[in-house]
Amino acid sequence: MSVLPQRGLLFSASASATGPKPTAPWRVRCLAVTTTRAPPASRPKPLSEAATTTSMPSTTPSFLDDPSSLKSTWSHRAWVACGCTTVFASLAKSALLAAESHSLPGPVLAGWVGYILADLGSGVYHWGIDNYGDASTPVVGAQIEAFQGHHRWPWTITRREFANNLHALARAVAFLVLPVDLLCDDAKVLGFVALFSGCIMFSQQFHAWAHGTKSRLPGAVVALQEAGILVSRAQHAAHHRTPYNNNYCIVSGAWNAFLDENKVFEALEMALFFRFGLRPRSWDEPSSEWTEDLNATASTRVDT
Amino acid sequence: MATLSLPCKHFLPSLLSHNNPKVRSSQASLQLSKSSRSQFHGLRLSSPPSPALPSSSPAKRSIFAKVNKGQVPPSFTLKDQDGKPVSLSKFKGKPVVVYFYPADETPGCTKQACAFRDSYEKFKKAGAEVVGISGDDSSSHKAFAKKYRLPFTLLSDEGNKIRKEWGVPADLFGTLPGRQTYVLDKKGIVQLVYNNQFQPEKHIDETLKLLQSL
Repeated sequence: MSVLPQRGLLFSASASATGPKPTAPWRVRCLAVTTTRAPPASRPKPLSEAATTTSMPSTTPSFLDDPSSLKSTWSHRAWVACGCTTVFASLAKSALLAAESHSLPGPVLAGWVGYILADLGSGVYHWGIDNYGDASTPVVGAQIEAFQGHHRWPWTITRREFANNLHALARAVAFLVLPVDLLCDDAKVLGFVALFSGCIMFSQQFHAWAHGTKSRLPGAVVALQEAGILVSRAQHAAHHRTPYNNNYCIVSGAWNAFLDENKVFEALEMALFFRFGLRPRSWDEPSSEWTEDLNATASTRVDT
Repeated sequence: MATLSLPCKHFLPSLLSHNNPKVRSSQASLQLSKSSRSQFHGLRLSSPPSPALPSSSPAKRSIFAKVNKGQVPPSFTLKDQDGKPVSLSKFKGKPVVVYFYPADETPGCTKQACAFRDSYEKFKKAGAEVVGISGDDSSSHKAFAKKYRLPFTLLSDEGNKIRKEWGVPADLFGTLPGRQTYVLDKKGIVQLVYNNQFQPEKHIDETLKLLQSL
């Protein structure tokens, strides 16, 4: 979900309230028709045009000037280890309890439900972070800033080392799952928690793979993407194209078609707008901070 | 006379039907419970028309009003985008498309307005006028109309009084003003009521289809 180091807890779609419904004219993309206004320079174009299109002044993400910021530190590895430990503990405890009670189907089904709902959860969180709040938002401000960086330089997630990429989610998972491991003795609940939290924690890796290219990904990963078990590269690429309001789920992507076809997020956006006056970013043309920097892509990206 | 009903294709409508009791308590008339079920993106009308209420009805009594096909809707006078009062009676003698939409500068409403704009010549050819109504004020309408070069009238239904009088159902358990379009014939009688919140372009298709049959 992000490129920059993540901080803050895993889940909250909190956003700063902007007060009553705004009355000033806002810029809204008119999707059904063309307008006479020329597309703004910040609107992303297909990658094939990147080399010949000058959309913005050339900027390089700061972390590329300091490649060590993409590397894993021992702190990152420690948090990933903690997160994995709690997830595996939950899984192991669930398996043991299931074996003792000779009742495997329940926990297995619960685990599957956890995997399915993790995809939905990833989409809801992603939608919230992409559309509301900013760097100053309490708790998730850093996440929002990180998402902003990812939208600006999406390909750099493939440069980030494993623990560097996952450590923030792993930290949240470790804190949330440990109490469950210690206090819960229900095989089904533990099975659900194991798969749900594990998929959430590894969603950043799935996300990174979704930004990879077929030739450079392990065959098993490609197979899982093509089977729909992990979010596909094509599906996630659609999220990074105009109008930037779809394909938010990044575990398996199974929910994307349903959510997009039924305009679930659009409905939520309308409800939040009329109820709280919150206007989502996806209703307007993306600002430069959220638009892919094609010059950086063209000049610094190695074919991934 | 065409009666429009659309199949409910999406999962969401079952959650968002305005027959939700909460919405019903604020908007439904006694007749609604007897009428055909209103769909999220289509309206099936098969009940006998209820008598139109006088336009001077107090807001409290408007919860019992609902404009159905075959009725003459309550008249209104609202300000347009230039702040000038416009009455429904002004359009008598020609077909009128009155479309209620949630708000200016929202994605669905922008799509809908632009779609009406792009098909405006067809509406003119059919001799019809197009009037959009939302709760936004005149200045919002003016900016919206200017930005998207809308050639038709936008009226400001401040307080959503007319929306309530006409019985436009809300969506999402009452949180979202409904998107409903009425087509009135030359005599001012409603010939079509079409409701579809998240497929705004369909309002243009359905209204044109009816106008061409009038």
